[in-house]
Amino acid sequence: MYSFAMIRRAVGKTLGFVGYTIQYGCIAHCAFEYIGELVTCSGPSMQPTITNYDVVFSERLSRHFYRIEKGDIVIAKSPSDPKMNICKRVIGLEGDKVCTSSPSDIFKTHTYVPKGHVWLEGDNLKNSTDSRSYGPVPYALIRGRVCFKLWPLEKCGSLQESPNGRILRDD
Amino acid sequence: MYSVIRYSFYFLVFSLGFAMIRRAVGKTLGFVGYTIQYGCIAHCAFEYIGELVMCSGPSMQPTITNYDVVFSEKLSRHFYRIEKGDIVIAKSPSDPKMNICKRVIGLEGDKVCTSSPSDIFKTHTYVRHVWLEGDDLKNSTDSRSYGPVPYALITGRVCFKLWPLEKCGSLQESPNGRILQDD
Repeated sequence: MYSFAMIRRAVGKTLGFVGYTIQYGCIAHCAFEYIGELVTCSGPSMQPTITNYDVVFSERLSRHFYRIEKGDIVIAKSPSDPKMNICKRVIGLEGDKVCTSSPSDIFKTHTYVPKGHVWLEGDNLKNSTDSRSYGPVPYALIRGRVCFKLWPLEKCGSLQESPNGRILRDD
Repeated sequence: MYSVIRYSFYFLVFSLGFAMIRRAVGKTLGFVGYTIQYGCIAHCAFEYIGELVMCSGPSMQPTITNYDVVFSEKLSRHFYRIEKGDIVIAKSPSDPKMNICKRVIGLEGDKVCTSSPSDIFKTHTYVRHVWLEGDDLKNSTDSRSYGPVPYALITGRVCFKLWPLEKCGSLQESPNGRILQDD
């Protein structure tokens, strides 16, 4: 037998709890969006730098202050599927020359990255769908820059440079 | 003895001042804390519910003109319910700092007309992303120049015009007949 006062108290406490949850959920969401977040990577396209089930920390500040550079590993929304994220290395920024032919081709072809876009490639070139198939990716799709690997513990630390020599540096 | 009085006077003033500064810092931090808290809540509301947008530029005339204020809701985009004929706000593919306001002419898999209405030979393409065009075709840089736009760049769907007041209300359909409906 519940009195009206008890029901009212329970509803009040529930609303208060929901209110706190929304409040701290919003703060956490803003922290993940503007500071950084942990990401579990899946797939073979960034081997050997990042392997399946590695946990990395992706910071958001570089992206918001437009300080992403060639050679950075970034997390971006997939241009072919808005629900998926991709983790690739930036090979070229807007205006840079990138090599669109594979290393085994006899004739090398190049292209220039259009304004507002970046050219992304996985470190495992044989096993990666990246800008070589879907073209340059708009900068606005980039979510964050991977700066630190956290798991597995024996490989904890900062990430190595590109093993491929695909980045064309200005001389 | 004079110096003792002087130094104790300095000590008194200093500790009073320090206490005042500490209270001011405490209040400021409390104020900053509240600002951050409610700023985060407002940000999440703008990101997941909707926001007011002031449009600039001639590319959506006559539907939306320069300095119109519209309400852009975010729920359709998050639940993947953007449809052909919707007016959307998206991040510009050629400049990540700018936003664009265009109409969705085609969604993934649709056929869109890539030639202008004055061309004799019509060309078509199939869209993998989203094909956006302004309503003022002569005065709009849109997918006809920068190609299809990834769906993930869309940030909201314009559903209501709020300013100028005499044109308040929902927005009209495309005046152009560029949308190829499935038969």
